[in-house]
Amino acid sequence: MAKVYTGKDGRLLLDGTEQIKVSSWTLTGSLEMLETTTLGESQRSYTPGVQEFNGSASLLYYNDGNGRNDAATALKKVLRVAGVTESDTVALTLRLVEGNTNHDVQLNVYITSVSFGASVGEVSRADISFQGTGALTAVTI
Amino acid sequence: MAYPALAPASRSFSAGDYQYKTYKAQNGAEIRILYGDKRTGMTLELGYDNIPDTDADDFVAHYDETKGGFTTFTLPTEFRSGWNGNSAAIDASVGNQWRYDGPPQITSVRPGISSVTVKLVGVL
Repeated sequence: MAKVYTGKDGRLLLDGTEQIKVSSWTLTGSLEMLETTTLGESQRSYTPGVQEFNGSASLLYYNDGNGRNDAATALKKVLRVAGVTESDTVALTLRLVEGNTNHDVQLNVYITSVSFGASVGEVSRADISFQGTGALTAVTI
Repeated sequence: MAYPALAPASRSFSAGDYQYKTYKAQNGAEIRILYGDKRTGMTLELGYDNIPDTDADDFVAHYDETKGGFTTFTLPTEFRSGWNGNSAAIDASVGNQWRYDGPPQITSVRPGISSVTVKLVGVL
């Protein structure tokens, strides 16, 4: 059956926990290309280099009434008194749901930047950027 | 083994010079005495970018075979790839051969891929 995916199908999981009140996420994958063109050739040629994954997400700064605030948890990956260490990676899952089927991209990331604020007439939200480290751990898209 | 028969990604050639000495008088007049009829001291820098490590190690093997800069050698035609002028113009000129002017420089780019830079000098 034909299926158009929308934001309604999107999910974001941090360390296996589905985040509440996520308004958007994006993931960018890129591949560095190494040029192998030699003198005498008229067309450039390349060999694959290293891959990179990064992206961003936006969450409402929302308390669910039970003290759970996923935006705050994400913000505290950077906004913290102690420094960030190598063990502060997060297992990130970006998901599109189709019935009982999940289309996932999973990777380990560092939260590299966060921003949040408050404005009159606007919902407070936390915007985070992440940088993938290592290979993707699963791809089921 | 012979020098690796690979086309370089970059090439820089300097033509060297003839051997002569210059003497200057106090009034500024210059006298030059020519000591040889062959041009020598040409230099050649070849860059091989993003090649497999298995090709990069051939440069070290050849460097070992020539005992570094001790013995001289000729280059395969591949080093002139892309050059449409007189082939002798960028080679070691008559009576000269190449020797290493330093060890091959290998830069690892990613697993299995390296870039190599070779500096040669033409000697009689």
